[in-house]
Amino acid sequence: MTTLEVRNLVKQFPGSTHSAVNDVSFELSDEEILALVGPSGCGKTTMLRLIAGLERPDSGLIHLNDKVVVSDSVFVPAEKRGVGMVFQDHALFPHLTVFDNIAFGLRGKKQSEVRTMVGEMLHLVGLLPLSKRYPHELSGGERQRVALARALAPRPVLVLMDEPLSSLDADLRTEVREHVRQILKSMRATVVFVTHDQDEALYMGDRLAVLQKGHLEQIGTPEEIFHDSDTHFVAEFMGDSDFLKGRVVSGGIITQIGLLNQEVDLPIDTPVEIAVRADDIDFEINGSGNCLIIERFFRGAFNLYRLRLDTGQIIHAINPHTKILPVGTRVQAYISAEHELTIFRDQELPR
Amino acid sequence: MVNQTTSTSQNRANLLRWTGFSISPRLAIAAGAVALFVAIPLVYIFIRAADADIESWQRLFQTRIWKLLGNTLLLVAAVTGGASLTGVSMAWLTERTDLPGKKLFRWMLAMPLAMPAYIGGIVHLALLRPRGGYIPKALENLFGEMVYTPSPLGFWGAALILTLFTFPYVYLLSGAAFRSLHASLEEAARTFGRTPMQTLFQVTLPALRPGLAAGALLVALDILAEYGTVALLRYETFSSAIFVQLSGRYDRSAASVLSGILVALAILFLLSELRMQGRARFTQMESNWRPAPLSMLGKWRVPAILLVLGVVSASLLVPMIVLLIWSIQAFLDPQSLSSVFQTGSQGFGNYVWNSIWSSGLAAVIAVLLSLPVALLSVRYPNWVSKFISRLCQVGYAIPGVVIALSLVLLVNRTLPFLYATPLVVVIAYVLRHMPQAVRASESALNQLSPSLEEASRTMGRTSLQTLMQVTIPLILPGLLAGGSLVFLTSLKELPATLLLRPAGFDTLAVRVWVWAEDGFYLQAAPAALLLVLTSALPLYFLLRRERIFR
Repeated sequence: MTTLEVRNLVKQFPGSTHSAVNDVSFELSDEEILALVGPSGCGKTTMLRLIAGLERPDSGLIHLNDKVVVSDSVFVPAEKRGVGMVFQDHALFPHLTVFDNIAFGLRGKKQSEVRTMVGEMLHLVGLLPLSKRYPHELSGGERQRVALARALAPRPVLVLMDEPLSSLDADLRTEVREHVRQILKSMRATVVFVTHDQDEALYMGDRLAVLQKGHLEQIGTPEEIFHDSDTHFVAEFMGDSDFLKGRVVSGGIITQIGLLNQEVDLPIDTPVEIAVRADDIDFEINGSGNCLIIERFFRGAFNLYRLRLDTGQIIHAINPHTKILPVGTRVQAYISAEHELTIFRDQELPR
Repeated sequence: MVNQTTSTSQNRANLLRWTGFSISPRLAIAAGAVALFVAIPLVYIFIRAADADIESWQRLFQTRIWKLLGNTLLLVAAVTGGASLTGVSMAWLTERTDLPGKKLFRWMLAMPLAMPAYIGGIVHLALLRPRGGYIPKALENLFGEMVYTPSPLGFWGAALILTLFTFPYVYLLSGAAFRSLHASLEEAARTFGRTPMQTLFQVTLPALRPGLAAGALLVALDILAEYGTVALLRYETFSSAIFVQLSGRYDRSAASVLSGILVALAILFLLSELRMQGRARFTQMESNWRPAPLSMLGKWRVPAILLVLGVVSASLLVPMIVLLIWSIQAFLDPQSLSSVFQTGSQGFGNYVWNSIWSSGLAAVIAVLLSLPVALLSVRYPNWVSKFISRLCQVGYAIPGVVIALSLVLLVNRTLPFLYATPLVVVIAYVLRHMPQAVRASESALNQLSPSLEEASRTMGRTSLQTLMQVTIPLILPGLLAGGSLVFLTSLKELPATLLLRPAGFDTLAVRVWVWAEDGFYLQAAPAALLLVLTSALPLYFLLRRERIFR
């Protein structure tokens, strides 16, 4: 069943030259987590605020549980939509205890009922002993969990999360995100999760939606987004890809570092770009090789090398940590990938 | 780092709101109505001034105006300069040096705010009056002949006494600024080879300039509006001249003309103050703030202590002690004791009660009215809401005598049933002191993240429920602070009360003034002392909110 349906949503702020959200459409089914990801200023937060009812779109439709909440003639205000929202700064009410914060969304219920529901939520997020504390007496991670419990407590049809982990320290973030995903899944919540962090998006999302300049670039599973990028932007943003120029020949694509043996559905001689990641490239020492090591980054389990091709293009390659080569060594690089690589027609057109 | 990202996103959210969110019509109407309420008395004064017959304009221009303008501006310049110098040097001594007893001195330097300048003036006049003052008399008895003592009357006396009771404005603002200034700013100057003194004058003071200028302009506005002290010390300014026209000669046309000019002058000051206020922000505290190292006074220690002691004595200790002695004498003397507690049908309790209920009601009304204005200007900042917010701060620029004149004329014409009721006095307090409530509410709202209100909306609360359940509980301390300020200043308000009160409606301020004017110092003292103590209480709580007074 579809929980959220967004159709041709447009929002432009007065005084701005481009749309913050530009003709975006997607659907979200029950119990699904959608990670909305993109660089800052791509419109992902505006998207979230439009769904929440905190912002009014210029045009477009939003359906929540098959009810129209936004259309040309309808605008259901935030308080009537029944969505839960987790804010970037958590927005816990500083004048209320943890218990009262979570109970805030449970109005019109019997007191005993409220107590049970809040207790359940506190148990779920593991904060039962802290129910009488005030927000300022909590750590960042605890605050984050209260914000989540508060949003989930009224069992909203949809949970919206606006970069909920960005205010946490980096080491805490990975730990918390596992916990958050686990909680969301155990509540069988339907979630839109906004983040600018690709890792977090890949981890959190059942599906990902990549936004750029208000435009929906691609929506799909983490694997599709990562290995089968629809656009140059997605490949670059999600995968730290290098783009290797090449030309279609019979039996593959000829590049500066050799032939890629992959069938493409393009006429011979078409200029293309191949998205390659550091793990798709390997090299060996060769005094008359095709590139030069210009930098080496130690990454613990492996070394990341930055290589300069004779044409001046920069590519990256990883190598096990036992093999350390000094900067300035001439090497022969080649494509080592054993899976299909994503190929774009030059000028950013999908294949 | 964490803080930084939150604050950028905050800015972004604010920006979004600025450009995007549609303004709630209910809120806009409420704020607009408040602005109208504030604007009418102001506009009315200008209409009346323009309406006055050419003859009174001509007569005033030929005779009085230039003299009054000169007197007023001279006094404003002298007091503003004196208060700035005193305020900044006291702030520097108590915030940035190893002066002993700093904590105590901070309180004693701020407390003169609880002392209306005219009460200070009464005490200093009684002490120093050229013939019959306590000090000249004591000296005469001691030496057997007249000894020259400086007179508190006239320009120099007025300038000095007003400086003593207005410098705390500058002191508080620059003290907070000294305190919040980032230590690394001065350290940076030192690494570029500046000595501590050069750093003070080339870096620290210029960085404090916006806050300092805002404080100085508040002093200037206060002096433009001052009536009691200048009348007492027989120095004629616009305010006292208008008062005389209104109460004595009853020439409303001339009073309107003078008022129009005075308000126009005050608005100029207010406009520059509002500009400064916007810029005063860059001295605000950052998250990684740490205090700057203290300057060592060394051999200047004793002169510094004497200087601070001198200021504290003249502005606080001496007036308090004198009032206390007079009060004790009044209680010991059966005749003055009975007149303290019973004058005609009115007793001491009546004055206290009148003072408290009228000022308290004004505070409540001012805070309530300030809410829609602050909500509109903080949550939906655009030029309309900014204009409304500024209009509501115009009370700073309307002296008590002018408010009184405007209300007398307006109420007489449009709402005659209000005339000669204490409610007119309350309205005058609200109009005059609402700016303080507006500023307090705005600054409280500015510190409240809009996402709290949005969170409440997503959890099923309407905008009105959100206001009552989230916004107001959270900004309550700020609202109370604004209310206390209005209460404090209304309690001291003299000219508007004198001119607007119905017969028999005596407040503490009025009683002190009437008795002191007739020379009954002993009788006036208990009321004055109570007035000061009543003002000191809200002031104490206000100061406790400031970091430097913890």
